[in-house]
Amino acid sequence: MKDFFVHRIARALIIPFVTLTCVLLAGVGPARAAKNASVEIGFVGVPPPNFQNVLLNVQSVRINPNANAGPGSGRWQNIPVPPGIGGAGQNAELQIDLNTSQNVPQLFNTNAVQAGTYAVAEILLDPNNPGTLIPNCPGASPLSDGCIGYPIQLATGTSVISVQNTGPGGLIQPGKGKLAALVLQLTVTINQAPTTPFGAYVVTVTMTSPPTNPVELGTVTGSVTVKAGSGSGSSSTGKVRKLAVTAEAIGTNTPIATAPVKNGQFTLLLPAASGPAPPGFGTLYDLAVAGGADTYAADRLPPLYPGQSISDDFTVTGSQTLGNITGTITDNCVATKPIIGATLQLLIPPQAPNPNSAVDCSVPANAPLCVAVATANTDNAGDFPLPGTITTPAEFANVPPAPKSNVNGAYAMEITAPGYDPLIVQAKPGTGTNKQGGGTCSTDGGTTFSACNLALNTGYISGTIPIEPPISGQSTLVQVFAEDAGTDNIESALPMPVTVTSSNIGFIDFTLNVPTKPIPPAAVRPFDLFATTIDLYQGVTDPYQGHTIAVLSDVTGPSGPSAPGACSTATATFPLDPDHTITCIGHGSTAGAVALANLGTTVVLSKQDTASGGFVQITNSLAQNQSPNSSPSNRYSFCAPADTYGLQRVQLPMPIASVVPSVAPTPEPDGSPTTVTILPPPLAGGPTPTPTPGIKCPTTCSNPGGSCPGICNNEPGPTL
Amino acid sequence: MRAVGAALAFSVAACNNQTGFSGSVGNTPNGPPLTSYDILGTVGTPFTAIVSNARSSWVLQGNVPLSVVICNNLLPARIVATKATSDSSLLSLEIINGFRVFDLESTSAPFGNVSVQAGGTLSAISSPASPDLRIFVAGPLNSRYTALVEDITTGFVIDARAPTLILFDTPDGKVDATFFGGQDYGSFNLNMTLNGAVVATVVQGPNATIREP
Repeated sequence: MKDFFVHRIARALIIPFVTLTCVLLAGVGPARAAKNASVEIGFVGVPPPNFQNVLLNVQSVRINPNANAGPGSGRWQNIPVPPGIGGAGQNAELQIDLNTSQNVPQLFNTNAVQAGTYAVAEILLDPNNPGTLIPNCPGASPLSDGCIGYPIQLATGTSVISVQNTGPGGLIQPGKGKLAALVLQLTVTINQAPTTPFGAYVVTVTMTSPPTNPVELGTVTGSVTVKAGSGSGSSSTGKVRKLAVTAEAIGTNTPIATAPVKNGQFTLLLPAASGPAPPGFGTLYDLAVAGGADTYAADRLPPLYPGQSISDDFTVTGSQTLGNITGTITDNCVATKPIIGATLQLLIPPQAPNPNSAVDCSVPANAPLCVAVATANTDNAGDFPLPGTITTPAEFANVPPAPKSNVNGAYAMEITAPGYDPLIVQAKPGTGTNKQGGGTCSTDGGTTFSACNLALNTGYISGTIPIEPPISGQSTLVQVFAEDAGTDNIESALPMPVTVTSSNIGFIDFTLNVPTKPIPPAAVRPFDLFATTIDLYQGVTDPYQGHTIAVLSDVTGPSGPSAPGACSTATATFPLDPDHTITCIGHGSTAGAVALANLGTTVVLSKQDTASGGFVQITNSLAQNQSPNSSPSNRYSFCAPADTYGLQRVQLPMPIASVVPSVAPTPEPDGSPTTVTILPPPLAGGPTPTPTPGIKCPTTCSNPGGSCPGICNNEPGPTL
Repeated sequence: MRAVGAALAFSVAACNNQTGFSGSVGNTPNGPPLTSYDILGTVGTPFTAIVSNARSSWVLQGNVPLSVVICNNLLPARIVATKATSDSSLLSLEIINGFRVFDLESTSAPFGNVSVQAGGTLSAISSPASPDLRIFVAGPLNSRYTALVEDITTGFVIDARAPTLILFDTPDGKVDATFFGGQDYGSFNLNMTLNGAVVATVVQGPNATIREP
């Protein structure tokens, strides 16, 4: 293995050598222009009909001022996949689904480019694996199954898709110090369906810009005024994050886009939902201002509409002495058990004149009124925060002192983890550099502050689920989910799916962590449970399961711990009957239309618990391809194992123009649920004569006699 | 250019004994190139996953992004990940082989599942790894480093980005690992766990070594 070290040193020597060579050669080429403008890339999808997913694997986007530029042109400006989100370097790749980006652009990335006029844009798909199509039933052809993945083959033979505009304005004109958006509309058309089992779809991918429908982007712009502060303006942990404004989905810490503050100004270009009538449906965002050794600021915005602009100005105080907040999150039921992957957020109220600008975010009921300005996660030892990059420290490593006006001069810090009760504590940053020693926290309302080593409460639901074991040589994985009863708010899943083999005796045991705190005004916390399988289809990954889904509604959850380590367990035994047994059944699909849909309309697929009569929500579908798309279809579509399901239209309230909501709106059922039955596929293979000769067993699974589900059925769904 | 290359190679070869490592670290024969399993998507998205090869399996939890590397891997291998949040954040699984994305699956569904496999069909999840030896590598996010991870018979070279979870399948004797971040890398924060218990922790940079006690 000493070769390894030889190669390391060789690399260390080669880099300066190559650098020197490049420096010498640099003089013979044109001077490298500064990248002083920014381009934001977004995608809008135009998928072919009757597909559950239309997936493209994008490696990067590049733009060039010269419409005839060749691949080797030095003027290409690259917009790569965002690091972390899609990998980095040569392995960077991001999978986009054209079905879910038909109405609102899916942002790809923003990158610095040279200011100028760009005449050509190219999207680079993975040449080895450009994408995947998942058709609804009956699939690629009458002899091919649906709800499984098929590779695509590009008809043009090249994985580079381009669009040009040689007019004076080109495709895009990012100005010096400005942000410009380039929305690319990707259209996939089918040239030829697969001619062999698991063969590829031959497709043509074309690109246009701007899209044929209006660009559904809005602008948020404003200023950040930095008042003089009295601190050091530095961080005890080293570097300081740059001052930036981040747009988050309302009520969450999910960042949608981030803009640097330059010369006191910022500009964000954000997806904005349109609709059949002006100004559109509108999209709700929170803004978080953080970085630059300045105090935090936040705001909650009124709905943002396509083509419209919202202005929002902030004032922060600079030269803060930055500290850090570190610690460990553990399980209050199992001593020293770290909670891996917990999320911590610092919450502050939105700025005045928002009526909630003075709320105490450390009061749990007030948390939805507040905005997350810094986020951290725990590592495999339960420690937080995870490190930042070399140049950008972790958000929790650059925390300014909390305003003195805050209760106890502390921040509200919310800690969440799936299966655990959320915990909100008061937190003060510290100036220690030790990972375990930064900051203090109070769990008693500010009476005492100590190291931020915190424990979350949980309880357990244990039970059994009947299952028809796979035949010899096959296995399947069963995943169990718990969601708040009557909702699709999933709270927990098994950390490890249960493996089921032919030696299984007919049921599986499971134990789930679930939160224990009742949701007011209820005195107990009930859950709906459902169990799905994770299958292979003829040996390759099956995107949709082929076993029935077992459901159990309204299970009373456990009570909270009476003391550390004294935790409760509730039982949930699925009845031993065919309706509650996981069996090999095969794929199925249903699709239909939604009348008068808007961008707040979704359709929920649920299954009835025949023992209690309650419906358990399983998944949902957007109403896709809405106006102002040409020929809007307002379609919903599901791939689900053959069975009887409930379909329920659900409506997110339309935001009111110019009105800032207090909290994120929640969807409500709209109308009465209807049922749809997807017939089981005919059997293939085995001793049973097969009506689907193209299918070779096993497909997803096999029956004891050796037969297996054949080509699946699509059941036309009702118009909702 | 060939002359320059030869001179370079000669000078590098002359440095062979100046690495500062000998004896227990760096004397093992080369293992085969490793496949990595990258769990990507919206940064910070929590997930649970099960990783299995033809011999062993591991259950893990974490946040996006995370690279998983199996030393002493026995293909075929499969990874199944479940998003542990009910929002619309993205969770992607990628199998990276060399500089190629061999397979890719994504989900934005609440608590959505994704599954990819490499090296053929793994029809059943293997029994839990025994011993279950893991090295969690935290360092500057997305920064590339190289490492040598070895037991007493084989050494595996890893070229990855932090954070990384290194799983050593059926090690022969004790395991040690040396990490090289390069100039300006900052510090590694290494945790070695054996059967769920932390047995070694090292915070050091830009290079660091961790040994099983």
